[in-house]
Amino acid sequence: MTDYGVGIGWRPEIAGFVAGLPGLRFAEVVAESIHDHDDLPPGLAELRARGVAIVPHGVRLSLGGAEPVEPDRVRHLARAAERLAAPLVSEHIAFVRAGGVEAGHLLPIPRSREAVDAIVANVERTQAELSVPIALEPIAAVFDWPDNELDEGDFLTEILDRTGALLLLDVANVYANALNRGDDPAALFDRIPLERIAYVHVAGGAEHDGIYHDTHTDTVPPAVYDLVADLCARHRPPALMLERDGHYPPADDLRAELDAIAKSSGYPAVT
Amino acid sequence: MTPPAGDHVTSTGAGPRPGDHVTSPGAGLRAGDHAGQPGGAARSLADRQAELVGTLTSGAPVPEGFDARLVETARVALLRKRAGEVAKAWPALAASHGREWNAAFARWAATRPTQGSLRDGWDLAREVGAGLRSDAAEELAAREALQVYDGEHAPRPRRLPAVRRGDGGVLIQVAGRLRTLRWPSG
Repeated sequence: MTDYGVGIGWRPEIAGFVAGLPGLRFAEVVAESIHDHDDLPPGLAELRARGVAIVPHGVRLSLGGAEPVEPDRVRHLARAAERLAAPLVSEHIAFVRAGGVEAGHLLPIPRSREAVDAIVANVERTQAELSVPIALEPIAAVFDWPDNELDEGDFLTEILDRTGALLLLDVANVYANALNRGDDPAALFDRIPLERIAYVHVAGGAEHDGIYHDTHTDTVPPAVYDLVADLCARHRPPALMLERDGHYPPADDLRAELDAIAKSSGYPAVT
Repeated sequence: MTPPAGDHVTSTGAGPRPGDHVTSPGAGLRAGDHAGQPGGAARSLADRQAELVGTLTSGAPVPEGFDARLVETARVALLRKRAGEVAKAWPALAASHGREWNAAFARWAATRPTQGSLRDGWDLAREVGAGLRSDAAEELAAREALQVYDGEHAPRPRRLPAVRRGDGGVLIQVAGRLRTLRWPSG
């Protein structure tokens, strides 16, 4: 993947702000917000025409579900990638439904052999329909399964090795998990194939009841920028993007967060 | 009005999608049936995932071996996130509860797995019914005039004109466009 530098998660609420970023070359859109029978959301087609690479980011495939991934959802993701001429797509190492019930959130899967087999099978089913690579994102989890057989590094590496998938690394998730488990966040960087990172998410969070939640609706904590700098010193990924999903702050605040990502990664500012 | 991105996907395309399965409140409890089975360790990943979803969305007991405090933290965070999403789709409904919205929504949603924020807010508003504040009643009336919702499947646009009584007048929908006729004041 070419170097795209600093990007942003495109959302309808901040479409005007995103359209006004002069140096932008990379954005991500929630795949499920693109509808097969409708035009592309206003603003997105214009970004595409400007040459901004746009990656569809699936949130409801449930790749980590024990049940086979739903073919309609896979086709939808593949179609979104084609319409956007996307260089890749992304989804999560997580499940979002089971037994026909929607969880309404990304849930962790056990770090067990059985769960690795299940997600590898679902990633392969998805790859069979895609004409571009898929990047997989490890999630932030408030709790762990009791029967983990693998540590996080081995678990991620095995999934990536067996599927040939790329990695979408969310440094805010790495930060959240380490904080909540009492681990050193940067320690994970030594255990995963950093050269497989397609791009990086940077997001904010908040603490409730002594647990750090990866909310995407709060400011990015300074420690997350430090983690970005640490990661880039080891191996700078081709793109890093701000992921914000609500409680959108004034444009100046968003600009400041984009500039902070540029500063910690060494990429040029896009604002 | 456009529902938030995450919801809309279940209402696109023809016919029901797998994600549209009707789940009655408490359906997640079904997963708890397995809890008493002997040889729990051999249970499939599918059953165990369903059991966990039941805990988080229907208040079923925390599966064995999980940290109950952390699972409860996740359950509460999930309800807080859902409350925020429903507030975006149903701003008047949420505003009518003021600062009590998160708590009120959480009480209602604790045993109801999400059907997406459009339907969650719709179900809640219908349940409150005559108790809705006037602006929330109007928000509901506008949605009812624009879309057909049977309470079980994704709402669909109305093909025929519709008239609904709102608090301050009558809402008329023709060809997907909504007009309000206000009652003469005084």
